[in-house]
Amino acid sequence: MTPHDDSPLARLQRWMQAVITHPGGVAEGAASDDARCHLADSPSGIEQVISRSQRLTSEERLAIYSHAYFARLLECLRAVFPYVAKTIGEEAFDDLALGYLERYPSRSYTLDRLGAEFPRYLEETRPDRDAEGRPTETWPDFLIELAKLEWVIGEVFDGPGVEGQPVLSADDLTAIPAERWPQARLKFVPCWRLLAFRFPLNDFYTALRNEEPPEIPEPAETFLALTRRDYIVRRHRLDRTQFELLSALAAGRPIGAAIEQAAKVAGPDLEGFVANLQSSFRDWTAAGFFQATDL
Amino acid sequence: MIAPRLGHANLGLGVGLRTAHFAHVLEHFPAVDWFEIISENFIDSQGRPRYVLDQIAERYPVVMHGVSLSIGSTDPLDFDYLARLKRLADAIEPRWISDHLCWTGVLGLNAHDLLPLPLNEETLAHVVARVRTVQDFLERPLMLENPSSYVTFAASTISEWEFLRRMADEADCGLLLDVNNVYVSSVNHDFDPVEYIERLPHERIVQCHLAGHANCETHLIDTHDNHVIDPVWRLYRKAHALTGGVSTLLEWDARIPEFPVVHAEVLKARQYMTPDGDEPLPADRPAAGLFAGASPGRPSTMGATPHPLHFVGREVQ
Repeated sequence: MTPHDDSPLARLQRWMQAVITHPGGVAEGAASDDARCHLADSPSGIEQVISRSQRLTSEERLAIYSHAYFARLLECLRAVFPYVAKTIGEEAFDDLALGYLERYPSRSYTLDRLGAEFPRYLEETRPDRDAEGRPTETWPDFLIELAKLEWVIGEVFDGPGVEGQPVLSADDLTAIPAERWPQARLKFVPCWRLLAFRFPLNDFYTALRNEEPPEIPEPAETFLALTRRDYIVRRHRLDRTQFELLSALAAGRPIGAAIEQAAKVAGPDLEGFVANLQSSFRDWTAAGFFQATDL
Repeated sequence: MIAPRLGHANLGLGVGLRTAHFAHVLEHFPAVDWFEIISENFIDSQGRPRYVLDQIAERYPVVMHGVSLSIGSTDPLDFDYLARLKRLADAIEPRWISDHLCWTGVLGLNAHDLLPLPLNEETLAHVVARVRTVQDFLERPLMLENPSSYVTFAASTISEWEFLRRMADEADCGLLLDVNNVYVSSVNHDFDPVEYIERLPHERIVQCHLAGHANCETHLIDTHDNHVIDPVWRLYRKAHALTGGVSTLLEWDARIPEFPVVHAEVLKARQYMTPDGDEPLPADRPAAGLFAGASPGRPSTMGATPHPLHFVGREVQ
């Protein structure tokens, strides 16, 4: 059988899916064109398809699946984006999630991918656009960035890591002859991510972890690296020049060229940037950012 | 002549591995006979879930139990999913692989539910052909579980036990008998659960599931969030007697208590491995009286969602 076959079983499944995933409930779902087109030669009533029990009508029985569909997937989205939910409140989050499920229903065998398009959905449905479609508020940007952070945390948590494998140590780094440093390249561990935000996301995340009330902060450019050690996702705050340096290194530039690139954005902080370079590399190797060097 | 349990060992009394118990299991390696995993929680994992599974698979017999095979769907089989399932099986060598007699979606969508099928000749032929394909691909027999269900179809012409018997014979697959699901469905669909269990092909039953459910007065929901109730235990006694004893596993998926509580629950099965207690099941299902008495054994009605979520929470610092 194929998705386009016209067998009774295929038509019944398409009908039932359309009915139980309809956001307006099973009665509206059964009356929708989406459902009716699959059972066009039958009377449209649920009773003709679903038998009743001694205690429940056909519609009441089918509604159990409808309830379960939304309850289960909303619970999953709340688990993937707990701080977005906490920030806007469960009711508002559920409203958003229902709209999301309608536009981006699951197409995967795993619930791990259910939230993949949620940040994009927030961007697509932000309520503050003016007549030309331009955003007029900043708080939707904050929520979108928070959703992205929560999504990336999930990717790092269960994606490839380096537990049980050697990573580049501080000793490995100091063993590189000084004259070869400028041309050396660094290979990052696969669980490493570099993030730039328009809001102080890391501080906000820490505050919510500490069970402080969620207050959307004022915009402020911030930078963050994520990695995973001992199967736990770790957050590392960065400043602008560190972000530039790590960006250049991650793009495959040699250490010397990467430092030059970062120095350009250091501005008046250039001296401090240079003075702190050694300790930055020491911290990053201790945090397990790098897997190896390419001399 | 078919060997009991299709020739598989009786692994004893096992527990469904859940994230909430990872730390306890790794610290204590409790004296559990075996573990069942939710396949989808591990087939793509390259993080802590997979690490925990590898530790457990080194020390305990493991069975892979899936929720996304969608054997009854009219969509094409998902061979990408099957390849991932097989890759995990090759790595951890489970005693067997199981899923459910259900469909989870069509038109490329996944409702992440165990949706029921109309039970008739068309569905039987469809499912049998797909089970054969899956078994050929996985190079091992498949065990299919009777799901709890909340609707029946006007298009059904075969009882569920008859469907399972014919499916297992024609596809040469095994059965995972979920005793709680039989009970839940029997209440929801007004059939006799004892007759259901008596009519199954007992030599093809490789495993039993036990779980708690919720009583919503007009129907029961398979919530896996509580102790097993007495009528289900009595059905288990019947299943044990008819099968001669099969690997038995407790599922607890919501409001999960400490591991020792879950383990103790499945160990109660020992009390039902004797043939006495031939008492009839109460007839007034699902009247409240059946469930009277203090917990344990009292079903819940709070937040009743069937087939609870299988999602692994993230660990962040």
